[in-house]
Amino acid sequence: MRLAADRILGLALIGLAAFAAFNASQFQVTFSYEPVGPKAFPMLLSALLAGLSLVLVFRPGENGEWPDKRTTLKLVAVLLVLLAYALLFTRLGFLITTFLTVLSLARLFEASWAKALLGGILMAVGSYYLFTLGLGIALPGGHWLPDFN
Amino acid sequence: MFDFLIHGFEVALSPMNLGLAFLGALLGTLFGALPGIGPINGIAILMPLAYTLGLPAESALILLAGVYTGAEYGGRMSSILLNVPGDAGAVMTTLDGHPLAKKGLAGPALGLSAVSSFVGATIAIIGLTLFAPLLAQVAVMFGPAEFFALMVFAFSSMAVMMGKDPIKTGIGAVLGVLIAMVGVDSGTGVMRYTFGMAELYDGIDFVVMIIGLFAISEILLMLEHANRQDAGDTMPPLGRVMVSLKELLHCKWTMLRSGVIGFIVGVLPGTGASVAGAVTYTTEKRLSDKDNTFGTGDMRGLAAPEAGNNASAAGSFVPMLTLGIPGSGTTAVLLGALMLYNITPGPMLFSERPEVAGGLIASLYIGNIVLLALNLPLAGVFAKVLTIPRWVLVPAIAILAFVGVYQLHSDLMAIYLMLIIGIFGYALRKLGFSLAPVILGYVLGGLMEDNLRRALSISGGDAGILWQSGISIGLWIAAVLLLVLPWLVPKLLSRKTPVHA
Repeated sequence: MRLAADRILGLALIGLAAFAAFNASQFQVTFSYEPVGPKAFPMLLSALLAGLSLVLVFRPGENGEWPDKRTTLKLVAVLLVLLAYALLFTRLGFLITTFLTVLSLARLFEASWAKALLGGILMAVGSYYLFTLGLGIALPGGHWLPDFN
Repeated sequence: MFDFLIHGFEVALSPMNLGLAFLGALLGTLFGALPGIGPINGIAILMPLAYTLGLPAESALILLAGVYTGAEYGGRMSSILLNVPGDAGAVMTTLDGHPLAKKGLAGPALGLSAVSSFVGATIAIIGLTLFAPLLAQVAVMFGPAEFFALMVFAFSSMAVMMGKDPIKTGIGAVLGVLIAMVGVDSGTGVMRYTFGMAELYDGIDFVVMIIGLFAISEILLMLEHANRQDAGDTMPPLGRVMVSLKELLHCKWTMLRSGVIGFIVGVLPGTGASVAGAVTYTTEKRLSDKDNTFGTGDMRGLAAPEAGNNASAAGSFVPMLTLGIPGSGTTAVLLGALMLYNITPGPMLFSERPEVAGGLIASLYIGNIVLLALNLPLAGVFAKVLTIPRWVLVPAIAILAFVGVYQLHSDLMAIYLMLIIGIFGYALRKLGFSLAPVILGYVLGGLMEDNLRRALSISGGDAGILWQSGISIGLWIAAVLLLVLPWLVPKLLSRKTPVHA
């Protein structure tokens, strides 16, 4: 299983190298003073990447341990929370999104509801004032709220 | 010849810079002590803030360098108390540090590690002061061909020294260089790998890259370790953080030797604190472990990697400041930070921006004393940081990462890119890659291509220019030897000694 992961990775990287090389070959260089234009270096890198990946296919190394199913689901959940944070950041404003994000992350990291709620409120409000007043950073207030900073 | 240092102390002793050195040391120790946040993460998180505050280049660098050296101090806390290395540089510290704590000697162990960190760092800072200007004078003679050869040497020394798997180190570095290719080519204006997206025309932003690669991937990794029991249950009692003079004298040669070795390892491009810890520990084990006490709580086994990893941190500034080649993953990040300020470190830095080079070196002297003064009496307070639960830590990192990226660009695209890079970094770490080569490749990639193209345009396309001067030939030979020797030497040795001997 461990070995297979490196083989697949090696093949995927060879694919990436081929893609990078093909892409480089399509660069439109209209005029250049230099004997070596912007194509050569990426081509060289692609060749190097393909060569190293080929070694990986034939002599796979060791991988870390892969997470179990439950942890994988949680990983996806953490990513979704972070994605939602990004999506809502400007729409709902810093305070609300940060509160919701801290709440959900704390729950995913096994805090109790009470701790997660308290942490969410304290961290959202605390960081808001730290950033806006302490560091002078403009944070989104949210479209539905009048700016009160 | 040491004018830069006098000027540097004038810079570093200004009240603001003194305060920043202090703040950096304090935050660095905290970041180092916090499980999962090493020097790179600490710098990645603080850098956008330093940039926003509008600090001048030398002040920002003083703050970030304080975080770097502080984190090397702080990394030992969880190594000694919990047997969990705080960062890669503190891995070897667990071997004798934790057994000492289990014997009830947690306090003396923390005290000894603070003193040996101080000794190691002091040796290396003196080394930096003496060698950096000399190296800068040599480096002035470097042309593009020599720089290209130097970077090839840096990458091969990294492949051999860093990580368990040289092939993966190499692949990581190439991936980093490829990522650096994204954007408009400065020479010709050709768009490379932008896929028509306007956000990618300027390339992948440095801050987005390191926060994604390190902070976001760390959040994901922390989830996997969340099942581990909380630190509070397993923390041994600290006792008084004191180390006796007798114990210190017992370790004096260990500290001095390890400081010198750590400095040399740090100067070698591409190798960082983790290599220094391993090299000094194994050297000291071979030299002084007469009764086989290493690994069971020998003071010298703790002093060696602690002096070594702190010395390498200071040593890695030598190639960064004089050649523009980072000595470690963390200095690669610092190099990127300087580039945000349109400062490209290199041989001219000492003459053209003495306030940056001198101010940084002077602040290392000051920071090192501050760190010793903080770490002896306050070790107990820093140790409390270890008990901060992950459910507090993770959202805090997330907030800092989001705000850091958002306020630099006020643009959600940068945040999405940060998340994508974070997943990429997580996958790489799970596949057994170390991230330092990736970041080194990313920082050096553009410079490497520039130098190659400049060299070839001088020679009119003749590749022979790359190995024409004595310096570049030497560097090519050194690079090839580094790659071939570790593979060749065991084969030669095994041929000489019969199998059944």
